[in-house]
Order: sequence, then structure tokens, then C-alpha cells
Amino acid sequence: MNERIIQLSHLLQFSDATFPVGTFSFSNGLETASYEKIVTDSDTLEQLCRSAAHQAAFSDGVTALQAFRAAVAGDYDRITAVDHELILFKMNDEARMMLTRMGKKLAELAGKMFSSSLISRWLEDIRADRTPGTYPVAQGLVFAHASLTEEDLFTSHQYGVINMILGASLRCVRVSHYDTQEILYRLAQEIPVLYEQARQMEFKDMNAFVPQMDILASLHEKGSMRMFMN
Amino acid sequence: MTKENFKPGIERQYSDSPEVDFSHAREMAPYLEEPKAMYVGAPGKRGYLNLGFELDKTGKSILRELDRRAPLIVQQELYFDEELPNMPCVYILSSGGPNVDGDRYTQNITVKKDAMAFVSTGAATKLAGMIYNYSGLVQNITLEEGAYLEYLPEPVIPHAHTRFISDTCMTVHPTATVCYSEIYMAGRKHYNGGELFKFDILSVCCHGHRPDGEPLFREKFIIDPSRDRIRDIGIMDTYDVFANVVVMTPKECADKIYDATTPFIDKKNRLAAGITHLPNGSGVLFKVLGMEPGPVKKIVREFCSTVRQTVKGKHIPEEFPWR
Repeated sequence: MNERIIQLSHLLQFSDATFPVGTFSFSNGLETASYEKIVTDSDTLEQLCRSAAHQAAFSDGVTALQAFRAAVAGDYDRITAVDHELILFKMNDEARMMLTRMGKKLAELAGKMFSSSLISRWLEDIRADRTPGTYPVAQGLVFAHASLTEEDLFTSHQYGVINMILGASLRCVRVSHYDTQEILYRLAQEIPVLYEQARQMEFKDMNAFVPQMDILASLHEKGSMRMFMN
Repeated sequence: MTKENFKPGIERQYSDSPEVDFSHAREMAPYLEEPKAMYVGAPGKRGYLNLGFELDKTGKSILRELDRRAPLIVQQELYFDEELPNMPCVYILSSGGPNVDGDRYTQNITVKKDAMAFVSTGAATKLAGMIYNYSGLVQNITLEEGAYLEYLPEPVIPHAHTRFISDTCMTVHPTATVCYSEIYMAGRKHYNGGELFKFDILSVCCHGHRPDGEPLFREKFIIDPSRDRIRDIGIMDTYDVFANVVVMTPKECADKIYDATTPFIDKKNRLAAGITHLPNGSGVLFKVLGMEPGPVKKIVREFCSTVRQTVKGKHIPEEFPWR
């Protein structure tokens, strides 16, 4: 049996925009950026997507890879450690909420799809408030279980960040499906460079510099716009 | 003072202040060559400051401990704050001018039980262009029970090809409050036709802990204009000045400060600000973007005034006109 075909099928499934982890509820600051007329067209949308993808690569992406390695090694303590570390690094309430909601959902969904003692134990600890349950950690665990590779995981993570914003953009920015697909295609070219850096990083190296996104997130957090949860 | 043979007949002298070494930081790996002029760690290139504030017998906050090594200078504390006349205020000065290639600094500030203090710098911190090495700063800020610290330095101005890394560790009792601001300019805006984002790297990390070691948050940003598209939407866009204010404070104060602060984007004056809660209920984080340091400093000061009003019931007075 060609195992790689099964793996690729899982990769597509876990990365699909309709994968029910709640991606559609979040816009990563786009809703406010659109309202404030900061993102108005395809070019400005691409810039925001790139900024979001780059900052995610060096935080969520690093965590996903760390969790994946811990899962492959069966090191449960390391899994909860990286889970806690990511929360320490997330400077925004809505971002923390998004990561923990999606993480828990993915862990629950994983429990329906297959049996993994590691993920069951992690979900139990999330429910008991012993670990935050962030989405990148869930991704690491699920990808490790499905025998996918680090490259697969990182690509899916980046695709997820970019596609979340592009999906939201169709509802709040004047862009077409053609525009969003062109952006996605172009930004894919940047993922290998990000991966080369992220794969060598650990918690102490994690970094993010997106002050305008942070301010947009704050405006959303304290505002009344609620088409998206962030 | 440690010594080692440098060249036959020449002995290197090292400052007795703590060693500051960021060679483990991945982002500084390209900048570890020994400077050809004064070596790393030479007296005058390894600044040290140890400030200890505490209550005296009468209950007045005083600067009890002061230890310093060149080029850092702090003289005696002054009591110039009209709203908090019992609060010692000190300015950190540097006799060496800008931070130059291979400079290292350690600044420790401790505020003991129920004491308060205000710390700033005498002028903007200029980071000179560097060729071989980098400039590094380690800060340890410790606040005991009920302590209060405003640490509001003047902006940092990174010149072309500078490299700067800092690590600020804040160990804060759950009942204490620290308001720590950092303002970064994109460069010397009006020098030589504009020198914006021409530096090599800025790596800035600030992390908070409880006295028992419990980690609360860790923020790290790296600005590497050769790696990042700084002018993209989401990062700096068209803004030239960035401010970050970390406030560690009890949760009830954090909630009040958060409620009293309105995020905004002012397109006319090209200013924007946002606030959010730090992880683990440890405080709030306030960010400002602008075009010039003056208006950004003003917004930071107004925000810090909200912090002071919440914690001490007093405003921060108007800034001196010469500042």
C-alpha cells in the first residue's frame, strides 16, 4: 500500500478550510483593518497576510514543530511545556482565545477520527485546566500521529494562517476569489525560507513584531464589530 | 578585575561589572567578531548600574543603594514630582555618548517593600553604527510587595548598521506595579536625507516573573530590515516610531487601566495605539505607533498617568518643557 498517498490525503484533510476547528470564525485583524480602510485591495491584503504568516512562523510554527518532535519522542511533559510556553508568548487576549478554542476542538476531533493515548491524555488535561490546549500543539500531535513530516506540518500551519485571512477577506474586503488564490500561490513561495529558520528555533528564539496588527487586534477586542471573533 | 594575555607584553584589563553575553542569541550570530578598536568588556565599555530604592525610617522612599561603572552615571535622587513629592526620581546618564561597537550594559533596579521610584534617561539613547560586534543590555527589575516603579526612558535612536539586543527581566510581587516603556525610532529621520530602518538588527525581549520564579509572559521582537518587510501592513506600515509599554500590576488595577484606555487610529495625526491584557492576569500591554517621537511620548505619558492614577490616585505632571 502506498502510505504516502494516505499521508497526503490526511494532510489535505487537516489543512482544508472546512476542517471543523472554527477557522472561519477568525479574521486575524482583517475585520478591523478593512473597517479602518487599511486593507482595501489585493495588494494591501497580501501585505497583511504576509505579516501574519511571518509572525506566526516564528511563534506558532515553532511551537507546532516542537510539539511534533515531543509527540514523536513520546515526551508528554515536553508537550505540555511547549503548550504553556506559547501562552506566555501570546500578548493578546483574542489570540489566546483563538488558539485555545481551536486547539481543544482539534483534540476533540482527533479523538473521533482515531485513537491516540497521547492526545486523549492532553485533552483530559485541557478539560482539567492543567494545560492551555493551543492549536499549534494540537497540530503537532495530530500530524505526528498521522505519520506526516515536519515539512507537512509547517506547510499546513502556514497555509492555515494565510487561508484564514483570505477566507475572511471574501466577506469583508473587495477582492475576488481570483485575487485570493493568486496571493496564496505567491505566498507559498516564501514558506521554505520561513521553515528553514523556524525549524532551528526554540522557545527562547520565538519572536514577533507586528505592532500594527496588535493595535488592530486591540481595536477589535474593545470594539463592537463581531462578524469575526478576532 | 580579571586579566589575560592579549599580546605579548600587553595585558587586557576587564571591567569588574557583570559580563553581558548574547552570543547564544541566534539572531546575533553574524555579529560576534571582536571589535578592532576597544575590546568587549574593556573598562568604560561595560557599563553597570545597581539602583536600590527602599523606605527610610520615616516612610519616605529613598535611593539606598547606588553602584555604577562607567559609562553609566546616576547621581543622587531628586524629588521633583509635584504629584508624588515623596517619590525619588533619577536619570540614568551615559558619559560615553552613543552605544558603540561591543558595548555591554547591565542595569539592575530594585524597589523594596512599599517603596516607589521614577527612573528615566537624561536624553535619547543613540545606537551608533557598528562594524564587528553588537551592543547589549541586560536589565533586572525587581519589585517587592506593594512597590511601585515608573521606568520611562527617552527614545532609542538606532543609526544605520547598528546592532542592539536587550533582555529585560521583571520580577514583580503580585501586589506591586511597574510601568516600563520603550520607544524606538526607525532611525535618524532627519539625518542625511533620512536614515529609516537602515540598522542591521534590534532584538528586544521582556519577560515577567513572580518572585517564586513562576513565568508570566515573554515578549520578544526582532526587527531585521533585511529579513522583514517592515513597511508592510501589519508591521510598521508608514509609521516611523514605535512604543511598547509593559505594565505589571494586580489584576484589579489592570482591569481598571484597560477599561480607562481607548485604542484608536488617528489618521489625521498619523498616530495609533492599542491595549491588551498580558497573559496570566499579570498586567496590560500598551502599544503606540506614530511619526515623530514627541506625540508618541505624549501618548505614552498620558497612558502612564492612567496607570499612576489607578495605583496611586495621582496623575503624572506635565513633562518639563526642555524634555
